Amino acid sequence: MSKRGLEGALARAVELAAALPAGAALPWLDPLPPAQGHWRSQCEIDPFAGSLDDRLELLLAADAAMRGDPRIVHTEAQSLAIRTSIAFASSEGAAITQERIESGGGIAAHAAADGELQTRSYPSAHGGSVALAGYEHLLSLDLAAHAPRVAEEAVALLSAPPCRAGRTTLVLGDEQLALQVHESIGHALELDRILLGETSYAGASWVSPSDIGTLRYGSELLAVTADATLPRGLGSFGWDDEGVAAQRVTLIDAGILQATLSDRMSAATIGTLPSGAARADGFARQPIVRMTNVSIEPGEAEGLEGLLDGVREGLYMETNRSWSIDDQRLHFQFGTEIGREIRNGRLGRLVRNPTYAGVTPRFWGALDAVANAGSWRVWGLMNCGKGEPGQVAHVSHGAAPARFRDVEVGVLG
Amino acid sequence: MNDLELARRALALLDGDESQATVTHERSLATRFARSTPTQATAVEQTTVELLCVRDGQTGSARTNRLDDDGLRAAAQRARAATIAAARSGAGEYPGLPEPANVDACAGFDPATAALDPAQAAGALRTAFAACASAGLEAFGLWTAGAVHTAIASSRGIALTEAVTDAHLKVIARDTAGRSGFASATSVASGEIDAGAVVSAAIERRASREPLELAPGAYPVVLDHAAVATLLEFLAELAFNGLLHAEGRGALTDRIGERVCAPNITIRDEPGASGTFSRAFDAEGVPKHALTLIGDGVARAVVHDTRSAARAHAVSTGHALTPGGDPDGAIPTNLVLHGGGAASLEELCAPIERGIYVTRLWYVNTVEPREAVLTGMTRDGTFLIEDGRIGRPLRDVRFTDSVLRILADTEELTAALRLVGEADLYGERFATAALCPALRATGFRVSGSA
Repeated sequence: MSKRGLEGALARAVELAAALPAGAALPWLDPLPPAQGHWRSQCEIDPFAGSLDDRLELLLAADAAMRGDPRIVHTEAQSLAIRTSIAFASSEGAAITQERIESGGGIAAHAAADGELQTRSYPSAHGGSVALAGYEHLLSLDLAAHAPRVAEEAVALLSAPPCRAGRTTLVLGDEQLALQVHESIGHALELDRILLGETSYAGASWVSPSDIGTLRYGSELLAVTADATLPRGLGSFGWDDEGVAAQRVTLIDAGILQATLSDRMSAATIGTLPSGAARADGFARQPIVRMTNVSIEPGEAEGLEGLLDGVREGLYMETNRSWSIDDQRLHFQFGTEIGREIRNGRLGRLVRNPTYAGVTPRFWGALDAVANAGSWRVWGLMNCGKGEPGQVAHVSHGAAPARFRDVEVGVLG
Repeated sequence: MNDLELARRALALLDGDESQATVTHERSLATRFARSTPTQATAVEQTTVELLCVRDGQTGSARTNRLDDDGLRAAAQRARAATIAAARSGAGEYPGLPEPANVDACAGFDPATAALDPAQAAGALRTAFAACASAGLEAFGLWTAGAVHTAIASSRGIALTEAVTDAHLKVIARDTAGRSGFASATSVASGEIDAGAVVSAAIERRASREPLELAPGAYPVVLDHAAVATLLEFLAELAFNGLLHAEGRGALTDRIGERVCAPNITIRDEPGASGTFSRAFDAEGVPKHALTLIGDGVARAVVHDTRSAARAHAVSTGHALTPGGDPDGAIPTNLVLHGGGAASLEELCAPIERGIYVTRLWYVNTVEPREAVLTGMTRDGTFLIEDGRIGRPLRDVRFTDSVLRILADTEELTAALRLVGEADLYGERFATAALCPALRATGFRVSGSA
């Protein structure tokens, strides 16, 4: 990086802005109090200080513990550590630096036989559990201890009966609920989408600005926050990428929409203060509205057992396998790695290829119980895509298992 | 210093090791617009060096954008340390870097596009805004172009360079009720993109009256080019990935030589085909050649990088996505679905008494990988076909269906092919696109709607 390079980049940016046709007038941005200082994420064990041999030994032990059955055709044990240093300065006087350390990992076993392919993962799909933390987070996952179970379940799923089609009571594990929150609440409440700014790619939203304060998003048990101060959350920071201080915002309270995720421009457009949700995935991308840590607050049910209690017949689904939702964030369909029948308040036999589908407000309206704080965990997602050129955001969601009534399941076309 | 000299300089820092240096130099321009107003414009210039080291069948790599001696030396040390640690854990299965081979020049570069002229972007935006305004609509979309230079040097003696360009325009024309139409164009040359034609097609695909809701069920369908390209993109991952195939995880596992599609379906990877994003070699420097994957409906082949080829006791087909081969396998990035006999979309629709026309698919994901079952939504222009004609608009529908099933029940395809590429371009710019026709199939499975 050189002064000449920086000046060249500035000149190019000015040339580009000048070349484009004039558009609608932009809203006036009230100046921010200049952000000053340094912020760094919590990290007990520096993941870059340890030896690669130790890390590999941990992963290889987990990998070996998944192997043995010839039907296990592919195993994965992975870990990552990311240190991101950010310097931000603005013509409004901001001058801040931040350092974020992300760590985590996971395992997966793929079993195949007789034309069937099944996968089990731990602690979550799509790369495992990643947190804003140090090497201690990877150690806490104890991957090797879970590896035999993961492999056994992948093999068992090969001969499990398929998920039946119909409508039933659905209990979701907390990892799957985290993705459900992400797709059908988090993205839907991004104010740039609501204002049609992302129509070109990610799409818009079924929510409108006038819904704030009145829209019933779900049942009275639905409470959702966006908290950029959440410890270990991948969406935590000191300031967002416009220099707005991290904050905790109530998005939904007792099922009623209270606020959206916003950056300075979108907030100014509707006359509110920004929620501090402008994020860029690197120096070569512009900040756009992204989730921070969007979490469903814990309820009162006594863990998973409390949710199952009283359910005569239903399905329990755990660990995401497939996800899809329309460009208004209304109609969705999810698949999970594993399902279990619920009969008379207890988990029963395995089912394979479980899926469920719904429409956002109807689905959240059918929420009738959320497990309590003892079952509430923070799940990191490393693959949230948005923007052009594409940007990948790292976000987290706190979630506990939850129960929904009368849900469509077993959608296989 | 040119890119190959930079690659050689970096490679020299791993002297004594089996190693590869890859330099990628991206220059790109992206201008987004919404509500007929420019919203974001991003110009990128970025050079990265990736160093790969090989020992005892294990690989380690490091990447940097620090091009000074200290930066390159640090990357070399990290690549070497990773490889040594991996080798200490036991021998790996990577067979070693490929030997140099003759590589034909590709025709994937257009100098005018590489100029990345903002005025060209501005012209496209003005055309879109004006045409939409005339129709009482607002324009949303993206114009982007890029030029990427790649250089590979390896300890085996590979010394290759390549320059490619890509350009995309997409327009969504939307009314105040939220009804929208979509069209796009993709080319090696930005000058070949006709902004007026794209915006006209988007306006034409916008529903002009209240859409109907379609009940779940199986329907005859006409999938326009963009929808077909999305299906091919998933087929590339699920069916043609040589690693998945070798491990019994692929949609064509145990089916090579069998009829898996209708006889009118031929899918090839044609990296040299005219009008495609042509590339001469893969990320390991292995030459690319045309390869028939499904011929006349019969499964013929899958693709490999050096790593997956070793697992399958095969040879690399030149489809490495990363130096050293990707742990997730190799996929084809220049798919061509051969055309059929229909002269137009109208001709495809003509035999359908009641069916669906789909402009594009959205948020598609895999439901069952072995059967290539996908789910996703339609978007920006879904219509009922009645008595052989595209008629009343439909609300977007969810489909849950197998790509191979759709291609097995494909009755006809257009003769004209179109290059369709996604312009989201995450990470380091690597533009891919499928060259494909529109098609008509029976039994398209609609599983819901919003």
